[in-house]
Amino acid sequence: MTHSAHHPLPFISEPTATDSAISVRGLTKRFGEFTAVSGIDFDVARGEIFGFLGPNGSGKTTTMRMLTGTIAPQSGSIRILGEDVVASPEKVKRRIGYMSQKFSLFEDLTVDENLRFYAGVYDLPADEFVKQRAYVLEMAGLVGREKELTANLSVGWKQRLALGAATIHEPELLFLDEPTSGVDPVARRHFWDLLYDLAGQGVTLFVTTHYMEEATQCGRLAFMYAGRIIAEGSPREIREQHLLDIGDRDDSGRLRTASIEDVFVRLVTREREEAGR
Amino acid sequence: MNWKHVRLLIWKEFLQLRRDPILLALLLILPVLQLVMLGYVVGADVKHLSTAVVDLDRTVTSRRLAESFASSGYYDITQRPAKESDLRPLLDRGDVKVALVIPEGTESRVSAGEAAPVGIVVDGSDSRTASVGSGYASQLIAVFNAKRIAEQGISIAGPGIDARVRVEYNPSLRAVNSMVPSLLATILLLTMSSVMSQAVVGERERGTLELMFVTPISRGEYLVGKLTPYILIGVVQMSLTALVGRTWFGVPFHGQLWVAVLGLFLFMLTTVALGLFISLVSHTRQQAQQVVIFIMLPFFVLSGFIFPVASMPTVLQVVTYAIPLRYAIEILRGTFIQGAGARELIWQLLALAGFSVVMLTLALFSFHKRLSD
Repeated sequence: MTHSAHHPLPFISEPTATDSAISVRGLTKRFGEFTAVSGIDFDVARGEIFGFLGPNGSGKTTTMRMLTGTIAPQSGSIRILGEDVVASPEKVKRRIGYMSQKFSLFEDLTVDENLRFYAGVYDLPADEFVKQRAYVLEMAGLVGREKELTANLSVGWKQRLALGAATIHEPELLFLDEPTSGVDPVARRHFWDLLYDLAGQGVTLFVTTHYMEEATQCGRLAFMYAGRIIAEGSPREIREQHLLDIGDRDDSGRLRTASIEDVFVRLVTREREEAGR
Repeated sequence: MNWKHVRLLIWKEFLQLRRDPILLALLLILPVLQLVMLGYVVGADVKHLSTAVVDLDRTVTSRRLAESFASSGYYDITQRPAKESDLRPLLDRGDVKVALVIPEGTESRVSAGEAAPVGIVVDGSDSRTASVGSGYASQLIAVFNAKRIAEQGISIAGPGIDARVRVEYNPSLRAVNSMVPSLLATILLLTMSSVMSQAVVGERERGTLELMFVTPISRGEYLVGKLTPYILIGVVQMSLTALVGRTWFGVPFHGQLWVAVLGLFLFMLTTVALGLFISLVSHTRQQAQQVVIFIMLPFFVLSGFIFPVASMPTVLQVVTYAIPLRYAIEILRGTFIQGAGARELIWQLLALAGFSVVMLTLALFSFHKRLSD
């Protein structure tokens, strides 16, 4: 699955510490008495696949909404692709894409109408649209089904079409909100191939997910719990570091090999116990 | 405001509407059917009321009185009980709506030039039937008396009083002429506010609303793109119902046309904005629908649509000033029936303009608020 030739990136730069795709400092959001996000910091380098994990209600979605400029934080700073999102949320919108498996498409529009709509939303010129449409249809495997109602597509196709719609304007940074929930394993694998293609072209991916085996496919991860980031690093770093922390050894005294899921469950359990004390 | 974006949103909205034939029917066909149906129901002449006659006098006069009821066309004499006590079960069962009781000695009293009381019993459970039924009856008796007096030569009256009175007293004509104009506004309110109330909350439920604000589409563009299709449909609906009202019911129009059109248009903006506001503050489509139903009742009761504002208690009369439908009905009845123009209706027009501005501002404000939390 290499579509790099059809999907040229408008802007490629070397990831450096100062030129990160996302840079968040002291980000806080309160809803009345409830603190949904409590002073978090993190950076995402350009071209990285960044996995954002956490149980429901951990502040994951709220963080994502602040990053995309949908809601404003109480305090803290967000820089997306070098722009200050808190001060001017509109500036960066043409350079980012957003896809969620559930919501990205209008079900009562056809495949073609959905693509046409998103091309219009991002003011794509006509010639550019022709090119991108052909690319998306081929990528999603929907050539010849342009006139079909989106509601009639099966989940895997919908999801690939949603990815196509979200990237029709060739964004530098793509937010994916649980993109594979409800998708069968084969289609999920296929979808991740497409994500690797995008990453290979230099697109930065910010992915929230519930699937732990999906998390291991990310370059770097952040675990969120009760509004805070409780672990951060590459999947391997997280596994090793937190196994040592927990000190879980088998009978012969060696560190037990744990999956990301084990670490995740342990971390959350520990947090809950500490909160209960 | 990027007009290309607005055009794109309008195009999308119309595509979605086209795929929803029930919604389109609700907005364009149902209003016409409602107008025709309600026009007949509320404007219908009350005729052929089943009537019982208790003739205790059994004279020429009493028989002629009963006969005058039967021949009027408003009363069908279906029962002739022998005594007054037989009436109650007939009324209880709903067998008769009206009863005429002619006491013994009526003829002798009339002949002696005395007042002869006649009893008229009306089923009051349906106030409309009751008022019309008793109204006709007193009219008929007045005519009957006039005839008798004329026959006895006490005064010289021309022939045909009977017929003339019946033509002049024609409630059916009056009812349709005042009901159809108010129905134009009422039906607009019913359909537009309920459909509009679903418009944004539906997108919120599906998640496509929030998605819009990750894209370069601005809130203003979204609102204009959302409202415009419904305003256009509202204009088509208004024209359809007005046309049917004029042609089907032959309702005359005496006033300034532009005043009626402007008034109805401002009212339509108000209802669309009201629906939009409800849609923005509701969490689910069901909730939005319930709010609409809750709001409709006071609108109908306090607008003068059913009950005249002048006959309401003073406190409630004050409340009616807050009901936009009141002004729309005043403008429409004023222009259709009374031949009023801008000079007479300027306050109603200004009130509706104020309502539409306030409602749209409120909608815009709640839109900003809702998305920031």
